[in-house]
Amino acid sequence: MITSLWRHHILPFCLLLGLLAAATLAGDYLLHRLNLLWVGRYLGIPGTVLIIISLIYSLRKRKIITAVNPKALLTFHEFTAWLGSLLVLIHAGIHFNSILPWLATVAMSVNVVSGLVGKLLLNQSRRHVQGERENLQLLGFSRVEVEQALFWDAVTLDAMTKWRKVHIPIFIVFVILALGHIISIFLFWGWV
Amino acid sequence: MNKTILKAILAANLIMITVLVFIYPQLMVAPGKLIPGHTQINTDCFACHAPLSGVLSERCITCHKPADIGRLLTTGQAITKPKTSTPFHQALNSQDCVACHSDHAGVMRFMKKSHFNHALLQKTTSEQCQNCHKPPTDSLHQQITSHCAQCHTQEQWKPTTFDHTQYFSLTGDHNTRCVTCHERNDYSHYTCYGCHEHSPENIRRKHIEEGINNFDNCVECHRSASEHDINDGDGKRNSEKEDD
Repeated sequence: MITSLWRHHILPFCLLLGLLAAATLAGDYLLHRLNLLWVGRYLGIPGTVLIIISLIYSLRKRKIITAVNPKALLTFHEFTAWLGSLLVLIHAGIHFNSILPWLATVAMSVNVVSGLVGKLLLNQSRRHVQGERENLQLLGFSRVEVEQALFWDAVTLDAMTKWRKVHIPIFIVFVILALGHIISIFLFWGWV
Repeated sequence: MNKTILKAILAANLIMITVLVFIYPQLMVAPGKLIPGHTQINTDCFACHAPLSGVLSERCITCHKPADIGRLLTTGQAITKPKTSTPFHQALNSQDCVACHSDHAGVMRFMKKSHFNHALLQKTTSEQCQNCHKPPTDSLHQQITSHCAQCHTQEQWKPTTFDHTQYFSLTGDHNTRCVTCHERNDYSHYTCYGCHEHSPENIRRKHIEEGINNFDNCVECHRSASEHDINDGDGKRNSEKEDD
């Protein structure tokens, strides 16, 4: 059971996160290789704009807007938030200069993980565990035996449910930390 | 975990981070360490930065007096090991410090590594190369005391822009001291009467015999010591005619 849940749900999730990490490293490498480090300094702006745009889904979910199909907006939310996060991660680069923007980056990364767990895995995993439970019951296993067989799946599912609960609060933390970083840049950097 | 407790923990952390930003701005928001000379203003961001304007040269100058740069430290002590042989900040066109200088390790990483831009110097100063640069010690440059710009640009020392063979090949007896032809190290002019071989009288006589009256500018026809390499005025040199 553990193997099945891992192969069908956790592994694709890890691959998606791995793709984000690989794309970040590739982008950072290219900027260094092509001597375009200055571009990385500005990628935080389109990244932030994309993340803000992705919030349209949240407005639809809370019925503040009603015009667009929520499923289409969810896909849009996933794509723009993923791409925006990628740009912000490349912007962060591998250089550790100050703590505040790195805390914001960590908060954003936690938010990406919780978002992927909540939106891409949770429902599928829930269905998977439920299907396994029904199969075992049909095969004549007792309730206790079924619960024992699905113990680790249930634990994993419970952990994933908690990740989802973190999504909104950690996003607010990310917004506040990112605002602190943006304000400090506006305050200290010469834009003119 | 109760959602309210989670929110309270996150809010407490945010408040703590905000407090830390104001107590330790150099760690929380500054893009990397300052240079060692600026350690004393580590926590005073506005010693250099103006709100919404970035770093202002006026703030640099409050400590680094332009008249003293390269001569005295900001403490007033004389600089024992100056980075340049001659102080030059006093002769800059404008006091735009951040055009060349930067600070914070994270910002300096993005600074383009470029050489000194001579266009920043006042014109009279930029033409006096020897005030800042030591002349090369090779036999050629030992003979030259000025007019560097005739061969070298202010962008880079090499390659030189001057090819003497375009004007005259320095072969045979002509491979001699520069001052033989260029009096007072003035390379904008030359004379062919600096040696005993050529005198105004024998040159005039030889050319009159050939029916040539205009012989003031020797290199117009002669680009080497070869008697067969003479431009006769129709755009072709005698050596080329022989090839035809």
